[in-house]
Amino acid sequence: MAKNLVLMVMIFAVLLLTVIVYLLRKRKIPVKYALVWLFAVLVIVLITVTPNLMYSLANLLGFELLSNMILSMFIGILLFLTLVLTVMVANQKKKTTLLIQELSILKKEVEDKK
Amino acid sequence: MNKVLLIIPAYNEEENIERTCEEIKEYNKEHHTNYDFIVINDGSTDKTEKILKEKKYPHINLVYNLGIGGAVQTGYKYALKNDYDIAVQFDGDGQHDINYVEKIIRPIINNEADFVVGSRFIDNTSEFKTSKARRTGIKILSFFIKLACGFKEYDTTSGFRASNKDIIKMFAIEYPIEYPEPITIVEIVKSKYKVLEVGVNMKERIGGSSSIHTWKDAYYMINVCLSILIAGIRRYK
Repeated sequence: MAKNLVLMVMIFAVLLLTVIVYLLRKRKIPVKYALVWLFAVLVIVLITVTPNLMYSLANLLGFELLSNMILSMFIGILLFLTLVLTVMVANQKKKTTLLIQELSILKKEVEDKK
Repeated sequence: MNKVLLIIPAYNEEENIERTCEEIKEYNKEHHTNYDFIVINDGSTDKTEKILKEKKYPHINLVYNLGIGGAVQTGYKYALKNDYDIAVQFDGDGQHDINYVEKIIRPIINNEADFVVGSRFIDNTSEFKTSKARRTGIKILSFFIKLACGFKEYDTTSGFRASNKDIIKMFAIEYPIEYPEPITIVEIVKSKYKVLEVGVNMKERIGGSSSIHTWKDAYYMINVCLSILIAGIRRYK
């Protein structure tokens, strides 16, 4: 891999790491959700420091270009993340519905007693 | 004596809600029945809440709009909490005829069914049968319901339905957010409860507009049919 490319990817990884650490320190995201992003940073670093391994892996899987494999890999990870988020949104919706219903029923009971 | 509750979901029904409630009160007086009712005001933005409060109709104001499924389920939760024997879903828009409540709860009182659907397409009792496009949609849904659970239901979108205690409990725990009418039929049949469809009269709605505008929408149909099929392959106890 070209030197400047490696440098660029490394800068990107450092930036991403900084943002994650910032969000964690500010308590904007819990560690549980940050882990997957930290893992992403790790993957990026691993790819850049082991180019030979990556080339042979791409070859083995039938990718003509290393970049194609890396792009496909990230699309796959993002798809999975979106799916997880969809499940989480559905769960949130279930909980809010329940809360709105219970609160509204309770409100009626309290008002009836007045 | 069975305790009967009419669940009336209402979203922006300022034009209809008073008449609906008054009709129930009058009916109770004339027929010496004792139907309780509860209006579930689904976060209406018009005067629905004001009317309910001024006239002192029993009602629950949802603090945020939940949509028809969440609103109706609130009614079932209320029915469960207050130990009702039978719950009847009754639209607040004046489409449903109070004179037929007796007919749809009778099979439950006689232990002939757990769940009864009031149908426009049985016995030819209904003056209003909706547009052709909608009837076609209803027929398609009927086909998919038959496919998913083996039960032939004719009026698949009827919101005029009566449940016994078991079904009230089932709905209070889990109720579909979207397209509840066709989906719950599949769930009930699959859970081995007995469903009956009886002919009722339905009127054309007088004021306001229906919550379903998207009948001709292909997207809507695909969505409902898929939901029905998925309800058919879920696991039931």
